[in-house]
Amino acid sequence: MGMTNCFAILGLSESLILDPGDIEASWQAATREEHPDRSPGTEEHRAAALNKARATLSVPVDRLGHWLQLKLGEFEPNRSIDPELMDLFASIHSALEAADSVISRYQKSTTALTKALLTKEAVNVQLAIQERMAGIHSLKQSIINSFPELEKAGESGDFEEAKRNLGQLKFLTKWEQQCQARLLSLLDC
Amino acid sequence: MNEELIIGIDLGTTNSLVGVVDSGFPIILADSDGERLTPSVVTYRGNGSIATGREAVRLQQLEPERTISSVKRFIGRPYDHLSTEEIEASDYTVQPGPSGGIRIAFNEDHSVSPVEVSSEILNHLKRVAEAALGHEVSRAVVTVPAYFSNSQRETTKAAAEAVGLTVERILNEPTAAALAYGLDKLDDEQTVAVYDLGGGTFDLSILQMKEGLFEVISTAGDTQLGGDDLDLAIATAIQGRLGIENLSTAESSRLRAAAREAKEALSSVDTHTIRLPFFRDTESFELELSQHEVEALMQPVIDRTRSICQRAFAEAENKGASSIAHLILVGGSTRIPLVRRCIEEWFEITPNLSQHPDEAVALGAAIQAGILCGRVREVLLVDVTPLSLGIETFGGLMNIIIPRNSTIPAKAGELFTNAVANQESMAIRVLQGEREMARDNWLLGEIDIPFAPGQKGSARVGVQFSIDQNGILEVLSRNTATGEDHVLEIRNSAIDVDDTSVERMVSESIDHAFDDMNERIWTEAHMKSEELLPAVESALELVGDKLPDDEIDSIREAAARVKTLLEGDVSDATALKQANHTLDQATQTLAALLVEAAFE
Repeated sequence: MGMTNCFAILGLSESLILDPGDIEASWQAATREEHPDRSPGTEEHRAAALNKARATLSVPVDRLGHWLQLKLGEFEPNRSIDPELMDLFASIHSALEAADSVISRYQKSTTALTKALLTKEAVNVQLAIQERMAGIHSLKQSIINSFPELEKAGESGDFEEAKRNLGQLKFLTKWEQQCQARLLSLLDC
Repeated sequence: MNEELIIGIDLGTTNSLVGVVDSGFPIILADSDGERLTPSVVTYRGNGSIATGREAVRLQQLEPERTISSVKRFIGRPYDHLSTEEIEASDYTVQPGPSGGIRIAFNEDHSVSPVEVSSEILNHLKRVAEAALGHEVSRAVVTVPAYFSNSQRETTKAAAEAVGLTVERILNEPTAAALAYGLDKLDDEQTVAVYDLGGGTFDLSILQMKEGLFEVISTAGDTQLGGDDLDLAIATAIQGRLGIENLSTAESSRLRAAAREAKEALSSVDTHTIRLPFFRDTESFELELSQHEVEALMQPVIDRTRSICQRAFAEAENKGASSIAHLILVGGSTRIPLVRRCIEEWFEITPNLSQHPDEAVALGAAIQAGILCGRVREVLLVDVTPLSLGIETFGGLMNIIIPRNSTIPAKAGELFTNAVANQESMAIRVLQGEREMARDNWLLGEIDIPFAPGQKGSARVGVQFSIDQNGILEVLSRNTATGEDHVLEIRNSAIDVDDTSVERMVSESIDHAFDDMNERIWTEAHMKSEELLPAVESALELVGDKLPDDEIDSIREAAARVKTLLEGDVSDATALKQANHTLDQATQTLAALLVEAAFE
């Protein structure tokens, strides 16, 4: 599989610091022009590539990963976890387990009464997850704020910090998704 | 002449319509009686002829077991996905097909698939269009609920192709409605939500409109939630009030029709009298229902749309969508005042009623058809895939390859390698859904990835999963050595295969159908009793002091009845189910008290 350049596909500069509005505007302009429903004969493949490029660049962790791949080719990911994240993980893990337990009991319930018995627990779990998510957000944001420095280091050929931050961001994103999934399931409770 | 023309079809659970773009405007085509709505009903008459639409509705009382309505609820689903309630709620006999699909059986020698029934409706609409336009048509855009899975989309497409219609696009219903809403607002820039509650399905989609570009941001839904469920809830209550047991098919069909009539009437008046003359032999029934009573029965069903909306809102927000300017109501069930009040109360937004509840989706289908044949030039629609696509990995987990709400067309690649030397191929299970465990999701089918002979890890095959603009999956494998692509067949046994053994299998299973069903009801009722009885004890302990004594007495009484029947045997299945239902009803206030206490 050849390496596609998402920045080039959307005609954007190969930078970590992109304005979401610019990504949208480029995608929209290209889509209007090249969408197969608009220009019969254009291949669906091109529209799919535009969609993929937008999806990749508009999510910071994917943007950083793609940027590193373009700079380094295939690279060995940094799998270490910062101690700060380790502490957060322990507290996220227990909140997720508590959520899974109440969600699974709720899903097995078939009557209003058995469901109602679980409401209080569900409310408490929801609060706990929201609290963890706030922690995830602030750590994620501080990494995203450091993108200009990562880019600068990259200019002088140093990608170690970028790789380390990519690893941390991947963990945070995964936990964030897990928390979001639980919150969505808790909506039913 | 006019070979290029494309028609737009709304293939609904209750009603279907066909439209076309004429001089830049979408219009609905009327049949020879001047009617625009065709009931989605087909009668396979005892004399061998087939009736569709209004004619079939007229035959419903005469040949209830041979008249098929709401077939959309069954299309493209494996039999084992059906709940007992769904099978019971049908007037016609629903049976498993030979390879896991669904068959509708009339007698031992005659059965049809949901696809065949849908084809009859589509053929009817094709003829309506041809009569109105004065020439043949062969191309169509067909709408489906946004939350339809891959196989529901594929089978809908197959149903249209079976009657000579090339499907140019499978279009999502709420998206179609948004097109109808936005066609005269192309200069506006706004985010809208479409709340589409039809006869059998519910969808909520959020779109951004900007200078003629309609982009779906997120969508959520339930393909088994609609007006039919409201009718059933009302019919069950009427039956209880009248104290009629063991309904025949004709009786249950009549009761359901009466429930539907009451629901519709009570959308505009406060009270309605249900009259069932000569309902059973010479016995007639009469019952007065108030809007208030009926709303209480509908509330739990309508409540189910709430968290679905919240999901779509949450995802749109995560994707950075701006706040929703209009929440547009479409689908016949949004005529119900309770639906409108709930939306207003839940989301603090006044629903937008500018669209015709029955016609907006068909108009949108006509617009998309117009876009594809060049009759509408300034509009472009970009949609998303409603469900995550993934493959099963070690430990039975679902590994997501294309996440839900990805813009389509979408492609994603995965690299596979041989786990042992000279492995010939690898079987991959392809899934759709949001659950962590593979088994909880839709199984789309299995693909075989071929490997060239060689040492462990030497074979490398890239597999590309693509979801096209119809929301339909295609899987390609690429041999990395030769760069050659080829399409991998997705084997799915659950979607009706035409097979000569079908009739035989169906007739065999019909003989056991009653026993099987009773057994299934008993097992399910048993489980429910065992869930409910301890819950009653805990709940009474927690908040029982807030209940008046007479209510506690009636709960105790209902619980005692369940306990007694639980000791009985399988022949009491329906009685146990009924006792559970009574206990369930008796504990509604108790449940509400618990929820209230949880938020204190």
